[in-house]
Amino acid sequence: MSYKIPMGPYHPALEEPYKLDLICEGETVRDAKLHIGFNFRGIEHLAETRNYIQVIALMERVCGICSNIHTLTLCQSMEQLTGLTPPPRALYIRVVVAELERLHSHVLWAGIAAKLMGFKTMFMTCFELREKVMDVLQAISGNRVNYSMNRIGGVNRDIDDPLAVLAMVQALEREMVRTVIPIFTTSSTARSRCAGIGILTREKALSCGVVGPTARASGLPQDLRRDAPYAAYSEMEFNVPVQPDGDVRARLLVRALEIMESCKILRQALTKMPPGEINTGDAKIVFAAGTATSRVEAPRGEVMYSVSWKQDAKNPSRVHVRTPTFANMPSVRWMVLGARLADTPLIQASIDPCYSCTDR
Amino acid sequence: MNLTTALARLLIFPGLLFAVPFAWFFLWVERKSVALMQGRIGPPFMQPFFDFIKLLGKTTPPRRGVSGLLMKTWPLLAVSTAGGAVGLLPVLPSSGGFEGDLILLLALLEVPSMCIIAAGFSSRSIFGEIGSAREAVLSVSYNVVFLLAIVSIAASQHTFRLEALAHLPASPMLILAVVAILVCLPAKLHINPFSLPNAEQEIYSGPITEYAGPELAMWELSHGLEWVAATGLVATLIAPHFTAVWLAVLAFVVLSFGVVLLLSVTAAATARLQIDTTVRFYWQCTLIFAVLAISSALFMRFRS
Repeated sequence: MSYKIPMGPYHPALEEPYKLDLICEGETVRDAKLHIGFNFRGIEHLAETRNYIQVIALMERVCGICSNIHTLTLCQSMEQLTGLTPPPRALYIRVVVAELERLHSHVLWAGIAAKLMGFKTMFMTCFELREKVMDVLQAISGNRVNYSMNRIGGVNRDIDDPLAVLAMVQALEREMVRTVIPIFTTSSTARSRCAGIGILTREKALSCGVVGPTARASGLPQDLRRDAPYAAYSEMEFNVPVQPDGDVRARLLVRALEIMESCKILRQALTKMPPGEINTGDAKIVFAAGTATSRVEAPRGEVMYSVSWKQDAKNPSRVHVRTPTFANMPSVRWMVLGARLADTPLIQASIDPCYSCTDR
Repeated sequence: MNLTTALARLLIFPGLLFAVPFAWFFLWVERKSVALMQGRIGPPFMQPFFDFIKLLGKTTPPRRGVSGLLMKTWPLLAVSTAGGAVGLLPVLPSSGGFEGDLILLLALLEVPSMCIIAAGFSSRSIFGEIGSAREAVLSVSYNVVFLLAIVSIAASQHTFRLEALAHLPASPMLILAVVAILVCLPAKLHINPFSLPNAEQEIYSGPITEYAGPELAMWELSHGLEWVAATGLVATLIAPHFTAVWLAVLAFVVLSFGVVLLLSVTAAATARLQIDTTVRFYWQCTLIFAVLAISSALFMRFRS
């Protein structure tokens, strides 16, 4: 006998409101339907009523976890329309903040995954570590969530003493190696709960068009930082971790290895940071009419912004956002088919969904 | 055991008057110790008591299509049987008891779990039903080891009298049985790694999802009493024999407290296992324990 189990829109396993209707036979999931739109705030429409300074502050609030990525992508799009090029130091600072944000996001996700396995002690450990990453971000930007770092033509704040931040990052890396990485890679609990579940084959991943760690865990070697470098990524040396298995454990491993790669990028960016200006100044900015797009590798995958501007307009005529969760979420249906009910919270969380971004 | 003694044991010590505050105390110890291990502050000392009083003062909303009487009966039955189980524990040096009280204790310990199963199905909630199904599967799995452990000690002493078992000297068989019981306790008390019936990330509170107000208060109390009964059973088996009453009580409390801490550490250090892994684990335990018990019995027979 099959029965329907509603998971959401409000459920202890979900960080944000969305709904997964699971059709089960006993403890086995036979089908699933995903419903989104519970978090719609009309931000894209609001953006059309804001000028180029206000729109940055607005788009920073699309997401509480990857707030910097949204302003970075938006600013890159607007820089194309204005013809401004950020100075090299600003590009390095953008890399530092983006990688710290990636660390923060991956550690937060590790905590959520641990909680979904019923491992609350590990959840607390991960969140404690996340606080330390936020301390570093606060030391740089003065903020813990919405960093307000990006502006058209550069960044708002300088990193006065990169070596002091480097020391904080190294302390962070040591702690990551001691706590989070072993949970991700060698813990038998993680292995028993994650291996072989929520499988997304390479072919299915391609046909669903998944992005980010979800794609890399299904054997698709894609990363915009390497494939279409932006900011100062072309000057960084790093590897793109890829796992062929496509299960939840592969997604765990990819994120664990990405944490290490992020630390590597941070070390390089902080040591090699060139001197100079951090933005192009406060002169009035003139926009050319047209549409510009920009793509950035967010912690969850590719974020794309398309910004349109009309001649002599004060506000953008269209700001379109395509978030990684929008690309990844259809794959959840294929991942949960045949899975056990107990595994579904973990499987749906393995794409690291962000419905705040998706619904906007 | 005459009627007065029986009533005194049931209502005063180690029964309700002692067991109810200790149930709240053990619930607090479990929550506080887990919180400290997780780097949190944890609840204040009186929190489980305050929770109980707060829940008692709430009104349960009417539920359509659900028998209100049944919903009230299950938690009350669970509280009374768990309280009765504590009352049977041979804590005092000459506590009396009767032949076969071990069987009664085992039955009483099992009733709360059956009440939870029935409660989940009575509530007609899909989460309750899944939780109940999980509890039923779990119960069938761990009870084999649990009963095998207790019956093997009883059989080795040719008695089903609790007092006789409480005075047993340490032996390999007793240690083995206590270890087997300890392995079963997380499942019996629904804590990690076997917190499947109330896995909140999957099925909310499982069988008691639909419960609120005084009925939920009773479930909380019965859960606390189960803690006292289950940890108390281990404490009586491992406690040395004291003739002084205060020493026997102190040993009981300290050992129960130690078992609560041990279980809390286990819960804090583990993740929740899946149902099939859990079932496989307990059947493997059964097999190992059965082989060890038979070998031990054969060894003792040849030696004598």
